[in-house]
Amino acid sequence: MTLTKLFSALLLTVTIVAAVALAPKPEISNAWMRPNGEGMTTAAYVTITNKDTKADTLYAIETNLATRTELHESYQKDGKTKMRKVDFVVIPAKKTVEMKPGGLHIMLIKLKQDIIKKEKHDLVFKFRRAGSIKVTVVATDKAPGKK
Amino acid sequence: MRITKIFKIVLFPSFFTLFLLVAGCGEKFELNENLQNYSFSLVDQDGKPVNFPAQYKGKILVVGFIFTNCPDICPLTVNNMQKIQEEVGRIGAGEEVEFLAVSFDPERDSVAILKKFAEIREVNETNFRFLTGNKEAIDSLIKVMGIVAIPEDSTVVDNTISYYFTHTDRISLIDQDGSLRKEYSGSKIDTKEIIEDIGKLR
Repeated sequence: MTLTKLFSALLLTVTIVAAVALAPKPEISNAWMRPNGEGMTTAAYVTITNKDTKADTLYAIETNLATRTELHESYQKDGKTKMRKVDFVVIPAKKTVEMKPGGLHIMLIKLKQDIIKKEKHDLVFKFRRAGSIKVTVVATDKAPGKK
Repeated sequence: MRITKIFKIVLFPSFFTLFLLVAGCGEKFELNENLQNYSFSLVDQDGKPVNFPAQYKGKILVVGFIFTNCPDICPLTVNNMQKIQEEVGRIGAGEEVEFLAVSFDPERDSVAILKKFAEIREVNETNFRFLTGNKEAIDSLIKVMGIVAIPEDSTVVDNTISYYFTHTDRISLIDQDGSLRKEYSGSKIDTKEIIEDIGKLR
C-alpha cells in the first residue's frame, strides 16, 4: 500500500516535470535597443509569442549592461507623454505581446558602458513558467525591418 | 438705399477679398507667433554660444524638445528630425534649414552629454544643433514655445534619483522671420507633411 502511494506520487511528479519541460517556451523575436552613452538610460524592445496553452509572465530582465533594468510603459494623457513602471507583463496563451516605441519597453537604467550602433548584447528574460531565456539584442535606431 | 449701394460696390468686395486672404493664409499655417522679441542665451553641443532665435534669422528652423535620458519618446523625435534633415538635403534645401534639439533637462544635459548623444546616434551635425543652457533660460524658452516638462517617474539608483519627465511631445516649425508657424507631434510626425510645409516657406 505504501509502495503504491509512493509510486503514484513519483508518477505524478514525473508527469508534472515532463509537462513543464515539454511545454513550448515563449519565442522572443525582433530584439533591438537604442544606442546611448555610459551613465544614461536607454530602451530595449522585443516581440514575445506564447505558443503554450497556458499564460506566462515576464517579471524581470537581467543584464550586466545596466545598473538596473525595469519594465516600463509610455502613454499619452492630456496631450503629454508620460511613463510608468510595470511590475510584470502577462503573455496570454497563444498570444503575442509586442514591445515597441511609445508603449511597453525595457528600461536599461544607468548604462555601465556605451552602447554603439550594430553592437549585440545578451539580455536574460525571466518568466514565471518558462524560466530564463537568453536573447541577443542588436543596437539600432529602429525596429528591424522598419524604415 | 444709399447705404445698400455703398455696401454692394465697396464694402462687400472689400470684405470678400479680406475673407479670401485670411482663408488662404489659414490653409497654409495655423500659427504666426513672432518670437523675435525674445532672446535666449543657449549653448550648443560644441560649447558655442547660441542666441535663439535672432542668430537664425533668414533660416527655417525645425525645433524638437528632448532630454537625453529619455529612453522611449525623445529618441523617436531625434530620429524623425534626422529623417527630415535627410529629406531636406535631398530636395536641395540643406542650407536653408537648421535643426535644433532643445534639452529641457539642462541640469543633466551638459555640453559633453549632448555631444556624446549626437555622436552615438551618428547625427549629421552640419546643420543640427543640440542646445542646452542655464535652467532659467531653458524654462523661459520652453514656456514661450508652449512646452510642458515636469520631472516624474523617479527611481533611486546607486543612491541617486534617476528621474524622467512627463512632457509635451513636439517638433515646431519656425520661419525665416522668427515666427512660430506650425507644431507637430515629435514622435509621430508625418515627415511628408513637414517637408511640404518647409516647401511653402522657401
